[in-house]
Amino acid sequence: MATNILEVKDLQKVYPNGTHALRGVSFDVTEGEFLVVIGLSGSGKSTLLRCINRLHDPSSGSVKFNKDEITTIKGQPLRNVRSKIGMIFQHFNLIPRKTVMTNVLTGTLSKTGVFKSIFGIYSEEDKKKAQELIELVGLSGKERHRADNLSGGQQQRVAIARALMQNPKMLLADEPVASLDPATSHSVMQYLKKVNEELGVTILCNLHFLSLVRQYATRVIALKGGELIYEGSPKEIDENWFKTIYGEEAVEVTID
Amino acid sequence: MSATDQSTLPQHLQKKTSNIQKSSKVVQALAIDIFLWAYTCLVSYKIIYQKLIANVRHADFAWSQPLTAIGVGAVISLVLFMTKLSIGRASKGLYDLDENESILKQPFMFFGYFVIIITFIAGINVAQVSLREFFSEAGLMGAKRIFTALLQPNFQIIEPALFAAIETIYMAFIATTISLPFAFLLGFFAARNLMSNSPITFAIYNLIRFFLNVSRSIEPLVWAIIFSVWVGIGPFAGMLALCLHSVSSLAKLYSEQIENISDGPIEAMTATGAHPIQVIWFGVVPQIVLPYLSFTIYRWDINVRMATIIGLVGGGGIGTMLMQYQGLAKWNEVGLLVIVIALIVWIMDYSSSKIRASIK
Repeated sequence: MATNILEVKDLQKVYPNGTHALRGVSFDVTEGEFLVVIGLSGSGKSTLLRCINRLHDPSSGSVKFNKDEITTIKGQPLRNVRSKIGMIFQHFNLIPRKTVMTNVLTGTLSKTGVFKSIFGIYSEEDKKKAQELIELVGLSGKERHRADNLSGGQQQRVAIARALMQNPKMLLADEPVASLDPATSHSVMQYLKKVNEELGVTILCNLHFLSLVRQYATRVIALKGGELIYEGSPKEIDENWFKTIYGEEAVEVTID
Repeated sequence: MSATDQSTLPQHLQKKTSNIQKSSKVVQALAIDIFLWAYTCLVSYKIIYQKLIANVRHADFAWSQPLTAIGVGAVISLVLFMTKLSIGRASKGLYDLDENESILKQPFMFFGYFVIIITFIAGINVAQVSLREFFSEAGLMGAKRIFTALLQPNFQIIEPALFAAIETIYMAFIATTISLPFAFLLGFFAARNLMSNSPITFAIYNLIRFFLNVSRSIEPLVWAIIFSVWVGIGPFAGMLALCLHSVSSLAKLYSEQIENISDGPIEAMTATGAHPIQVIWFGVVPQIVLPYLSFTIYRWDINVRMATIIGLVGGGGIGTMLMQYQGLAKWNEVGLLVIVIALIVWIMDYSSSKIRASIK
């Protein structure tokens, strides 16, 4: 029996404008899983991910990472936890005007001193690792290219390399393929699968397309209106569950 | 973010607040109407009637006149408030207007046109516009004298003029460079998106914004007068004046640039566990470097022009020189200085726009 890497208990999030985004969400993530979160836009998926690495502060409830309570930690301890959790985003969020190499190296910021990083001094070891990761995501030869000149799929792969640069135990992926075309989506998902299987990184991923979910997820949870309404294997999501999660009007679209 | 119940106020309270809002709008509308009618009465009486019709040479002013005008205005606007002539109601959106009909043809617009026309007549009178003086014989002679002198610039003083011009350019350059680090730092503190997280930082933000707005709303010309008393007449006073104004306007521009950046890279850097300083260096700075450079070059350009004007009140450089020759009525020398100033401004304007276009 694998151990739980993440334990989320009764998580609530109310935004200052009164939006109640999460209403008591509880679930565990075991080490090595590829757990996918599904749900309509506005169901609280992004908020959930951002409460885990504390980009947003939860209103109540608890988040345990590696058995340590991280719901209210601050400062250096919080930065340590964040450094063990990589994150990739729908809009890639790379640093504009900087090279692929520089972008990947920002994954080491938490262990590089403030002054060293400002003057761009990274250890040889880190540079070698960055080089290897750029090769891993299939972008060798692009190290000196400006990241914002690459295609969407390539940018997302740079983002994956940046996240891996942190040596993460877990990777949060917030709609990683929502702004990519179908072919590129599969390529990015393949890389995530590779990271999950070969490097043993636990993945927690928000997705829209059920076809992708069935293909890549080892387990699924579904959110609706900030509540967890489904937890189980991707194969068990039948027509009825689909209508419960996405509403009566919904029709499934596939991505091949 | 889920779309849950946004308004938590009970319905009767909502109705109450909307009633309060409506009545405050009516009060504001009435105030606008009273002001406009009082203005119309006062201007019609003092300028149109006394000056133009009755031709009173020295019209007496008494405080009773504006007070009476307000009284009359209040009566007229109260009477006309519910008609279609109320500009106040129109500007507060209290009319149900047909969207297809042009707003320019609404009845209240005709009152508006009337106000504009009497303001124009009064303006011509107040500004003492006089074609007779413009074309008078003595006037034309004077114009001829100054234009012939200006068109025959005295090139004898080209050397001191160029030195003064260089002084002006350097003064502007130093003022820009010295203000740069201050504006750079203040820019972060004056950016709403970076400062609105906690009440303390938000208070700092408001305080800094306030000081920036105040110091920016005072013209550099006024600062130059203050500093020329403080440190004595000369380029240093002018430079200090430009510095102060540059800091506040650059900080404003910088902070607006910071407010416009995308949050994505900031989020990504925070998620890697980076220190807040690293987050700003990697998440914010790369997004603002080029616009900052562009603003700064533009500011230098502006400072060169302002330095010339500031020279007129003793800020040193070519402006002061111009002032001295103008005081002595040496128009040939003034002519040369005008040419030099025009050249500098043109060169600065041209090169700064070229540089800014190339770093876009």
